[in-house]
Amino acid sequence: MQKRPILLSILDAASIIVLAVSTYLALVFAPTEAVMGQVQRVFYFHIGTAWVGLLGFVIAAVAGIAYLITKNTRWDRFEVAAVEVSTVFFFITIVLGSIWARPAWNTWWTWDPRLTTAAITELIYIAYFMLRQGIEDPEKRARFGAVYTLLGGISAPITFMVIRLFRTIHPVIIGSANANQEKMSMTGDMKVAFFFGLFAFTVIFIDLIWHRIRLGSLEEKVEQLKLKVSM
Amino acid sequence: MNSKSEGRMQKAESGHPSFFKATLAIIQKDLAAEFRSFELISAMLVFSLLVIIIFNFALELDVKVRESVTSGVLWTTFAFAGTLGLNRSMSVEKDRGCMDGLLLAPVDRSVIYFGKAISNLIFMLIVEAIVLPVYSLLYNVNLFRLDLVGVILLGSIGYAAVGTLLSTMSAQTRTREVLLPILLFPVAMPVLLSSVKASGGLLIGAEFAEILAPLNLLIVYDIIFVAIAFMVFDYVVEE
Amino acid sequence: MLETTPDTSGYMIAGYVFAFVVMGIYVFSLYLRNANLKRDAETLESLQAEQDAKAKKK
Repeated sequence: MQKRPILLSILDAASIIVLAVSTYLALVFAPTEAVMGQVQRVFYFHIGTAWVGLLGFVIAAVAGIAYLITKNTRWDRFEVAAVEVSTVFFFITIVLGSIWARPAWNTWWTWDPRLTTAAITELIYIAYFMLRQGIEDPEKRARFGAVYTLLGGISAPITFMVIRLFRTIHPVIIGSANANQEKMSMTGDMKVAFFFGLFAFTVIFIDLIWHRIRLGSLEEKVEQLKLKVSM
Repeated sequence: MNSKSEGRMQKAESGHPSFFKATLAIIQKDLAAEFRSFELISAMLVFSLLVIIIFNFALELDVKVRESVTSGVLWTTFAFAGTLGLNRSMSVEKDRGCMDGLLLAPVDRSVIYFGKAISNLIFMLIVEAIVLPVYSLLYNVNLFRLDLVGVILLGSIGYAAVGTLLSTMSAQTRTREVLLPILLFPVAMPVLLSSVKASGGLLIGAEFAEILAPLNLLIVYDIIFVAIAFMVFDYVVEE
Repeated sequence: MLETTPDTSGYMIAGYVFAFVVMGIYVFSLYLRNANLKRDAETLESLQAEQDAKAKKK
């Protein structure tokens, strides 16, 4: 196993630092929102993880196409890493969305387009892993995975657009029915926390993907060793 | 484009079937096989009727609610029955070893895709054509409208297009048929949702603009995904 | 019309704890999988070396 590159160690440290700073900004620095109270602070992490989830989603689709064209397994490892890390972060996004919704709008779930699309995207990710799990041949696994990320990558935005057309028939919840889509007016300090959160999670995202890719290389090496030894 | 059509003509001359003829041959094969036994369509049909009956009790479809809920019930039924058909269609192919034969044939792989997809579409349409009148009778809702049929056609095209591609993949996994709905439903969401919205809008007499919006998305989806499936099918069949 | 801001800090804490726990679990899983694979690689490599040695003897 290759020694950990120095850049990665630096990135590790950087990730921890930005995460700490971002947490501070979100929990202490940003002012308390007047209407919803403290729970609004989860918004900073909610957006940060959502951004990262989306990024990974797009990266996975691009990596998939790259794999299909080049057949280079590096792209496959990149794709798997992107999907896996995104799955984790989107999961956080969804749960934070729910936690935010409960005290703010008195419901554990809002069927608003963004949250619902996030949930559907999460299901696409899970389906992706189930697909890969069911295939023994690594080359076929990579091929099918790439095709599926492409299909998922294109269908999810369309899903989002379609859901937006549905006017909710759910009972009007406390606050306005479009509360989630209301643009939150953010003060300057809030914006700092907001944008830094995006930045922090991007750094963390890159760090984790890099680690996951290295793990993928190690997996491949072990598979090859297994084949050699069994011969 | 010129060289392609030249190539196709050369192929035809040398005894290789043209794209269109080859696709037609696959469709004919599937239809002929099905009309001998009717096992696929009958399974899909019985399943659909059972689902509709279950919905009757699950949803308390009183007259007022009926109109707004009909499109949802119909599309859920079509989605599940469609999955049944897609699975069966592909597994039969594998079991009988037809797939290998098809792959050996001197035709473009996409011919296989189009042939299978259109056969699957036809089966879905046949089932839908029977379910619609039955539903109309059972619930006293008039579903005999050309515009509704149009939406159902577009929705079925999208569903069959993605479904055929994905069923080809799922048939090659360990879990086989079980995997298809898991793969298909999240990716086919745009089809199902826009079809429900559009057909629902038609049934409750919504304004045209409200129906046009989901319809547009449905058509966009159909075009994009048929194109993608066409380009990507090669990567998905066994070497 | 002056509403008092509700105390929703409980939810906030739950949210942040959840986020950190999930991230922590994921990082830990990366570490664990890495350790396991490293061990597997070492085992396999020593097996490989044994096999090579035996083959040489022949």
